[in-house]
Amino acid sequence: MNVSNTKGKPVPHDDYRITKDTPVGFELIGVKKKAAIQLMGSRLWGRFNPNHWDPLYADETGLDAPIQTGEMSSAYIAEMCVNYLGASVFTGARIQCKYVASTYANEIITTYGKVRDKTPKGDGYRFTVDLWAENEDGERKTVGFIEADVDV
Amino acid sequence: MSEGTKQMTTKPATDSLRPMTEVQIKQTRDFIKSLEEDCETYWDMVSVGDVLSRDLEITPELVILYADAVEDYTPWYEGWRMNEWRIDGQSPFGNAIVPPLMMSHFVLSVQFDHTKPFAIGSIHTFHDTELLAPIFVGATVRIKTTAIDKFVKRERRYVRHEVEVSDVESGKIYMRETRDILSR
Repeated sequence: MNVSNTKGKPVPHDDYRITKDTPVGFELIGVKKKAAIQLMGSRLWGRFNPNHWDPLYADETGLDAPIQTGEMSSAYIAEMCVNYLGASVFTGARIQCKYVASTYANEIITTYGKVRDKTPKGDGYRFTVDLWAENEDGERKTVGFIEADVDV
Repeated sequence: MSEGTKQMTTKPATDSLRPMTEVQIKQTRDFIKSLEEDCETYWDMVSVGDVLSRDLEITPELVILYADAVEDYTPWYEGWRMNEWRIDGQSPFGNAIVPPLMMSHFVLSVQFDHTKPFAIGSIHTFHDTELLAPIFVGATVRIKTTAIDKFVKRERRYVRHEVEVSDVESGKIYMRETRDILSR
């Protein structure tokens, strides 16, 4: 499906789509984000909990630095999934994320994905892709997977 | 942890990670003090079987707020654009749609009973989400949470909820989720 924005340019996702021919073991190129304190302190996240945006409060509660909400990592992973799986993410997909370590302010987080399995379904396959997010030192922060239909 | 964070942890201060004047620092400290209210832990606040529900109109501006906060510039989510303001937008499904896990975030506004003081110190640790159908920007959804379990694992206390997000008008189910919160 080729979707254009109002400027007439195709959205970038189509260049990276997983198709029914994509093999098990295929590795996705993820997205990279900085845990910017300004975004961690957005009103979107509520600002109820200063552990997410105030260095002094975080220190007083035993944290090395303010920590991101887990939802931010999940959103980064979901962005990567949409890049590769497109509309399938919104129609019968299952996505699971477990926050195994805290993401601290200023860390650079990169998401990763690797096709674990593909099961025949209809004219295509239901893919299972392992997902994770890690910092510059390779420390995993979030792990999970997505199941989604491709070319079904 | 990055070098920048290590440097910050040696001398934490309100303005360690972003520049502030003394006025901004005072405003921040006063705001944090205002948050310190007596509240139960989340563990004590929730009983298994508790059901909470709220309706949310997903305005184009709310979607932009979310997408900008996570730096996701996928055009499918744009039902608002500077200069044009509210627009229909475009996605593979027609008009603009809501980012896949945006509703998962707003579950917090329901499962944490907003009529009670917020239980600071609770951490979201896990979600298992079924995305059943796209949600169009402008829809009004009902977010319903049911507390289904409270358990202790490795001396930590968790509260588990089941979630359903549906369309207020049609009843169509958009999303189901199981999620865990680690309580103090």
